[in-house]
Amino acid sequence: MGRVMAEDAFEAVVGAHHAEIRRYLLRITARGSDADDLSQETFLRAFRAYRALPPGSNVRAWLFTIATNLGRNHFRAQGRRRRAYAAAALEMRPDAPDRADGQVLAGETRERLERVITGLPAKQRLAFIMRKMHELEYSEIGASLSCSEESARAHVFQALRKVRRGLDGHLPIGMESRS
Amino acid sequence: MSPQYPVCRAIEPDLLSVAAGEAGAAAVGRVESHVAICGACREELGHYRALEGMMGTLRRAPLPDDDATLARAQLASRLADLRSRMVGFGIFPSPLGRILIGRSEQGVALVQYLPAGGSLPAHVQRLLGEDAVEDRAATEGLRAELVEYLEGRRARLDWPLDLRRMRSDFQRRVLEATAALPYGAVTSYAGIAARIGAPSAVRPVAQALRWNPLPIVIPCHRVIGTSGALTGYAGRRVELKQRLLAVEGVKTVAAARHDFKVDRDAMYTMVTGDREYCVPTCGSLPSQSMSTLTLFGTREGAEAAGFAPCTSCRPDLHPLPA
Repeated sequence: MGRVMAEDAFEAVVGAHHAEIRRYLLRITARGSDADDLSQETFLRAFRAYRALPPGSNVRAWLFTIATNLGRNHFRAQGRRRRAYAAAALEMRPDAPDRADGQVLAGETRERLERVITGLPAKQRLAFIMRKMHELEYSEIGASLSCSEESARAHVFQALRKVRRGLDGHLPIGMESRS
Repeated sequence: MSPQYPVCRAIEPDLLSVAAGEAGAAAVGRVESHVAICGACREELGHYRALEGMMGTLRRAPLPDDDATLARAQLASRLADLRSRMVGFGIFPSPLGRILIGRSEQGVALVQYLPAGGSLPAHVQRLLGEDAVEDRAATEGLRAELVEYLEGRRARLDWPLDLRRMRSDFQRRVLEATAALPYGAVTSYAGIAARIGAPSAVRPVAQALRWNPLPIVIPCHRVIGTSGALTGYAGRRVELKQRLLAVEGVKTVAAARHDFKVDRDAMYTMVTGDREYCVPTCGSLPSQSMSTLTLFGTREGAEAAGFAPCTSCRPDLHPLPA
């Protein structure tokens, strides 16, 4: 008897995207165990719905949408703890500015950058990570956050402004704009 | 240090786009002409470009805890478990009305008669479980074979079965004994009870068959009352049982209260466990209880099931009137 489900196709989906989806969830939850759980849940949900997905769909963006929804539910459950952590992190005193040399971010700057990102409001943070860390299109980010492409772009820009302010004094000034 | 002038605030989105390398030519032009005259924004653009550079470095940098091996292995095992439970089903018209066929990875898990329209009855939803998905393609081959069967063009449904929806070990034994009944044969509830070594459990046998998740495939329509009455099928739809038996060559006559009856005197008869079939008047057969007998509507049915004509009554030479 032939196989019931489109299993091999789904195996390929897992193979192609699981590591990245887990990395995304790791970035948004900052905990390996949460990323493990939520990445599994993402693919179990995806498997249930996979056959209903129209042919030619953007599977990667669809997986980001599922992962984003699970991540947001997770934040709602953990909200208080995360906000407390973020607030405490932001109160830490910054040290002297570091130079980013394009290859390696000095530990302090990286920590500060990650702390600022962690402190962003949820939608801005998710949009920012999807755009800057995973290079999703604004339309894909909009689909993940159930908002328009323009709102997705606005979330990313708002986040950028806040990150830029949060890093004031830590940004190298040597990179002039020359047109 | 946010831009102080309205013109600077207005240019800011373009400035961010240019820094990110995602701006169109028009935005690039606007930013170029603005920063040529605005030092603050020129500096700001530099900061945003630096920030984009940092983001790129961060994107490429290894993450702590970035080991998906464990999650991947757990996922594989959970997916395997989900797959084995998952039922893909199709709903089809058939000569016996709307029918649902569901199959899991292990085999055919469900065949259910459905009412003419509307949503799935609660007991069918329960049988399907939470992880059922409509999948006509996966059940289309089964549908085609079932229709052939119902039209009398096929005598066997050699389907692998998923029997995990059995309510009890007892039900499993009843259905296994029922599945062994050959095409074109009938026996009684008492006969099934005797076969599974529980001769007094006639009513429990009837109950077990009532909740058969795989009617037609597990031929509970071949099990009738000791009086020869068909007694019941698919709720109150005993006419379906009559039609299924007619397809297999088992003749019935109308009986009281919308029921039908198998006429024992018009059936080839054998004592369950024997290898030979007889005319119903052979030897002591007329006085035997229905619980010990298996009946066939046709000689062809009995012989296709591997039985030989009795050497005393010679049903091959003296067949029953057609």
